[in-house]
Amino acid sequence: MNIMDDTSQMKILKKITDIAASERNDYLMGAKRSGRKVIGYFCSYVPEEVIHAAGFIPYRMRAVASSGTEKGDIYFSSLNCTFVRHCFDKALKGDFDFLDGIVFLNGCDHTRRLYDNWRYADIPPVFRYMFVAPHKTGTTAEKRFSGEIEMFKKELEKHFNVTISDEALASSIKLYNRKRQLLQSIYETGKSNEVPLRGSEFLRLMLALTAMPVEDSIALLEELKGEIQGRSTARTGDLRIFLASGCVEEPDHLELIEELGASIVADNICLGTRNFNLAVSEDDEPVPSLARRYLYHLSCPRMMNTARERLAYMQDTCREFQVDAIIAEKLKFCDLWGGELFLYRKESRKLGIPLLALERELYGGSSGQMRTRIQAFYEQVMNRRNTADVLFRSAGDDYQASNKNPVD
Amino acid sequence: MMFSRKKQLRSRELLKFNISHRLNLLYVALFVPRLLYFILWILRPFYERNENWLNKTWRYGFLTLGGGVMHPAEMRAYRAGIKAVIDNFKTALAAERNNEPLAWVEWILNAEIIEAFDIASFNTESLNIFGNTMGSEYPPALIAEAESQGVPVENCSAVKLSVGSYFLKQIPEPTLIIAASHPCDSSISIYQILEYLTGVPTFSYDAPYWKDENSYDYFTMNTWDLIGFLEKQLDKKIDWVKLREVLERVNEINFYLREVCEMNRAVPCPGTMISLALTWVIREVAVRSPLAVSMAKGVYEATKYRFDKGVGVVKNERVRVLMWFPPIGFFTYIFKWMEHEFGAVVVADFIGHISTIHINTETPETMVHDLSRSQLHLGMGRQCHGPVEFIVDELEKMLEDYSADCVFFMGHNGCKHGWAALKIIKDFLKKKGMPALYLNLDIMDKRHTSEQEIKKEITDFFRSHGWA
Repeated sequence: MNIMDDTSQMKILKKITDIAASERNDYLMGAKRSGRKVIGYFCSYVPEEVIHAAGFIPYRMRAVASSGTEKGDIYFSSLNCTFVRHCFDKALKGDFDFLDGIVFLNGCDHTRRLYDNWRYADIPPVFRYMFVAPHKTGTTAEKRFSGEIEMFKKELEKHFNVTISDEALASSIKLYNRKRQLLQSIYETGKSNEVPLRGSEFLRLMLALTAMPVEDSIALLEELKGEIQGRSTARTGDLRIFLASGCVEEPDHLELIEELGASIVADNICLGTRNFNLAVSEDDEPVPSLARRYLYHLSCPRMMNTARERLAYMQDTCREFQVDAIIAEKLKFCDLWGGELFLYRKESRKLGIPLLALERELYGGSSGQMRTRIQAFYEQVMNRRNTADVLFRSAGDDYQASNKNPVD
Repeated sequence: MMFSRKKQLRSRELLKFNISHRLNLLYVALFVPRLLYFILWILRPFYERNENWLNKTWRYGFLTLGGGVMHPAEMRAYRAGIKAVIDNFKTALAAERNNEPLAWVEWILNAEIIEAFDIASFNTESLNIFGNTMGSEYPPALIAEAESQGVPVENCSAVKLSVGSYFLKQIPEPTLIIAASHPCDSSISIYQILEYLTGVPTFSYDAPYWKDENSYDYFTMNTWDLIGFLEKQLDKKIDWVKLREVLERVNEINFYLREVCEMNRAVPCPGTMISLALTWVIREVAVRSPLAVSMAKGVYEATKYRFDKGVGVVKNERVRVLMWFPPIGFFTYIFKWMEHEFGAVVVADFIGHISTIHINTETPETMVHDLSRSQLHLGMGRQCHGPVEFIVDELEKMLEDYSADCVFFMGHNGCKHGWAALKIIKDFLKKKGMPALYLNLDIMDKRHTSEQEIKKEITDFFRSHGWA
């Protein structure tokens, strides 16, 4: 079945595609016109519930529809990642002029300087907050995270002259849990052989959902869940791929991966599982419950002491989703995902799962190069499937491991 | 040690080579600093300008010792520091040999707490530091090894080299690791790799973003957690008396070095920055040793002598330079070279400047509280874990305090956050009317920008401003 034909047949997927293609959409702007404020945020460690409980719409920052990095490059260097350069470029061009506030996070060295450059360039909005998330899990970090949420809550209340009650927080937690639950159930359909929703479609869905009011998101998800029942996008011989990366927001790139003979059935990406993995407890105090959820959800490599959990997640997911191969990506100059790819290479080799490591630029083109590398990788995986070729080596793997160290 | 011999390396060979062929020899030679000074001065024409097949093995070591233009009083001070490092390396190797606990401590942290548990500690980046400052070709080889194993090329070479050292079995195996989330993503990333490769229990310090009371309290809680972690892993209680002893010595080190920093404000500047940079290295590797105090005291006395006489480290001080961001590891002679060639004195820099607080050693609580705060104020740590103001505000204060004539921005490739703040720093310096040179290099990998290229850029800069 051709994926594009399939998309065009389904009205709801067309709607999602439209929303995902721009930084603003009718849902968002409609809510804005009705008086709701929009607060941008940069990372999956920012608790959206707090923003929502203030009566605002949390909006995940993105670089979609970026026309370049010319202006962003005045502030950032070519040694900085393309996500921040595109985002900042868009900010300088006024693409985010609908925001009433923006929340940064100490996610990585590149994004934390977004906070500095945003203030330095004095780009609206006036409310610019640095949300500080710990780099590790544990009791001390948990307390610190709770304290940070309290501070963030107070700052929102003070700046916007609103009150964020525990009741409002509890109600927001319920809504977001519902959204997570729906997303989880759709995501888990990837376990089936039919793969009702492709990875590229799922990314579009995530882009859309993180740019609209949660109430509309839930309605959209409920509708989608019904629509995709019985749907199949799987083609004979398709490989089942696990995608791991930081910032991926180009559905076209995922389409390329799929077009060449695969379905992305599972992931660990910012706009993927990390967004909806683990619910917030509804039985305990709201703030500590939020702290626990956001600290212990599927982590990204910014967290120092959870690498083993991430690798275990990769292994478990590959088993549950019957994954044939892993594609792990990083943006150029991303130290965190660079290190993670190293771990993925070693671990996938140990587990015998083929892995392709890709390095690329966000909206950087090079689809020809990507195509060649992905095609070659698929051929290798297929060869292994069809033969018992023990000489097979996964692409991007550690080519030196077989050379015995002369020291030994 | 030749680059081409990499593949024939025996286990721990580089570390042992450093001890036996370099540090021991230097230590002995420094018993007669005046004679060494004289020899370095006499041999100067044979090694000072260029590297060749004849001098490549010992050239950088000679240059780090001042290349015949460093005062013998300073050289005498280094002797104690070198002995402290030799002792540290030997203790680490002995611990490994005897199956005793050995803690790897990341370079941004000092190992005072380890002293209170009386086990061996090892600075994972030691080979990097001593490979580069003592001059050999193995740092690039170790970096290349890490990269060939899959460590990203763009990661900071200062920590990347540790992975290469580990793969080639050049550093002792740890029983536990103490890492930190600052100063940059490379540290976070590389220490996860090292934890994975070694499989040993690892404690991660989480540096706060801000410098308010909440943040300091959080970092203090991290130190308490570290104590709990060590007590559990080592199955022994912390020895508060030993901690008090080491912290009192740290207070002494801090006192002497703060005084040196204060004296360097004088015009002409009485101190040479290489001394403060090397003392920073000794703190990293061997802060636990009483000899670290001797080194700090020696540097203090050498500087005080000139300060009291009202003379500078160079006879004719022409330019006062502020060096911002980490100094060049493979070309430590830059300080003495600029002094000698241009009368340009580096009066303050990013890591040598001391702003650690006095540690109150009265109770365990005061010790842990002040030690934590002090750790966050170590060079690079204090500037790099938060907003850009931590960098720019200190820069502004330094410009005022040290009457600097110009600024060198050491654009280290691994410092992504530094590059992302470059426009802010540039605009600030422009507004101040401060001439600035922006270098693009890798501080620990001479393959990126060579010594000759750096010299050329600095010479051109001085010429264009009429200082040369």
